Amino acid sequence: MSNSKKIIAGIWDSEAGLIEAAKKAKAQGFDKLEAISPYPLHGIDEILEIPRSFIPYITFVMGLLGCAVGTWFTWYVAAYDWPLNIGGKPMWSLAAFIPVIFELTILFAALSSVGAMIVLNGLPKNNPPIIHPDLTSHLFALFVPEDDKNFNAEKIESLFKELGAQEVKHSEF
Amino acid sequence: MSHAKKEKPANPGSLTVPFNLKVWMGGLMTAGLITFLFTLYKNPERAWHAYLIGFFYVMTLSLGGFFFTALNNMTKSGWVVNVRRISESFTAFLPLGFVFGIGFLFGAPTIYDWLNPEIIATDSLLQHKAGYLNQTFFWIRMIVFFVLWIAFAKKIVGNSLKQDETGDENLTHKNVPLSVMGILMFVVTYSFFSVDTVMALEAHWFSTIFGVYAFSGMFQSLMALMILILLPLINNGRLKGYVDMNHIHDLAKYMFGFTVFWAYIAFSQYMLIWYANLPEETFFFMPRMQGGWAIVSVALILFKFIVPFFALLPRWAKRTQAHLVAVSVLILVMQFVDLHWLVYPHYNEHEVTMGVPEILIFLGFFAVFMWTVTRFLSKNELVPVKDPRIGESLNHHVTY
Repeated sequence: MSNSKKIIAGIWDSEAGLIEAAKKAKAQGFDKLEAISPYPLHGIDEILEIPRSFIPYITFVMGLLGCAVGTWFTWYVAAYDWPLNIGGKPMWSLAAFIPVIFELTILFAALSSVGAMIVLNGLPKNNPPIIHPDLTSHLFALFVPEDDKNFNAEKIESLFKELGAQEVKHSEF
Repeated sequence: MSHAKKEKPANPGSLTVPFNLKVWMGGLMTAGLITFLFTLYKNPERAWHAYLIGFFYVMTLSLGGFFFTALNNMTKSGWVVNVRRISESFTAFLPLGFVFGIGFLFGAPTIYDWLNPEIIATDSLLQHKAGYLNQTFFWIRMIVFFVLWIAFAKKIVGNSLKQDETGDENLTHKNVPLSVMGILMFVVTYSFFSVDTVMALEAHWFSTIFGVYAFSGMFQSLMALMILILLPLINNGRLKGYVDMNHIHDLAKYMFGFTVFWAYIAFSQYMLIWYANLPEETFFFMPRMQGGWAIVSVALILFKFIVPFFALLPRWAKRTQAHLVAVSVLILVMQFVDLHWLVYPHYNEHEVTMGVPEILIFLGFFAVFMWTVTRFLSKNELVPVKDPRIGESLNHHVTY
């Protein structure tokens, strides 16, 4: 883990505790405050001011691209490269090709969304940093990385303790 | 949700209908009635075609309200509780709908070929279909449909209203099996209702997907009307603490989804007929692809699918009031155009007939519908505050 950052993490044992702590810690002005939870938490995005993911835009653009590719592909195959008369219809009959175009739109959009998600999350990863092994089952964590503009190890430690963290750990992420 | 649990705000009570709205509804009802009577005297065929559009449009919204209520009872949806009363209020039209339905039975022989003995005598296909398409069975079907709809709606909505007083949790549980039966009943009756009233205009034509087509337009326009009713109530503070843009966001997602669904079904119907190219099916699309009707067909694809699709795609679009109002109005207008496109080529297949009678008779029906809805909402509470699942709806939060 060469590019991992030092962090200070506080561990809470309840969702409500974490959310209360996140609100108060955010008010201290940290700009890279992060949270880890075993399941999605309502409202945590707003509290931590996490920007929206831009994956939907990738989906949209790739969907449009899939639509364009499908249109070109059906025309090239059925009307240009190897014209084939089916049922006396015009060579390039849009109605017959819309299912193909539609499926290609969905295929491009869906696969690129999943692909973008995997790349942006840095997956696959076989040595994830472990702050606390129980964070995937019943514990919740807040942490501040060392490149935060207000990073001050002692202050953060005492703040997390004050906010009811059951444990404060120095770790890497 | 354990953070920031909201206390139940004060009960918003029932709706006070603004005087202006009452004047508008009364005016449009009168105008619609006068136009209908006048057109009936001048040109009964045109009058009954216009009547069918208005009748089917408001019946669709009304049954849509029933379907949406039953669907959410059945799936035990929590988020929808605070807006459920709006969809329940749509069923208040059903008893009046019965009256309009009986009225329609008397106009039916004017527009349906299969109720005209002279045409049947020369048409072997209609003679063949007479086992189903005949006056007696038509009357029986219509009456059975309405009796079933009114009975189920009375029971399901009645339980919900009873809960406002007693707060009895069991009423919610009782509504689950009722709603399951109600939805099964709805699927069959609504399909046959759309087939009997709209598809039967072209008695030679048949499309096995027609019921689904009518259903897709129903859900789309239902969401549009619910959003248009809820937004002013949110803005004047009546639903403060109960309904906010999070609920609207989810309704708008439904509207977006069923915009795509409508296009999917409409295209499925078109493509199979186009591909098979059988004369007994293609004659439905022939007049609709020529002259003025071709323009209406293209307008349907553009403004009932493509424009709402892109207009509802971004997240902000589903949370911006002015934008949602514009898209919802467009969808409601296009639902009218869709019905006009289904019905009117039977009246005149060479040119698009759209004049004062069509618009005023439709608006008259819509005003009657809105009158029953606002009357229901002014007699009952706007939010079922004693529903056991209301906590979920109070804390409803849509991240994406």
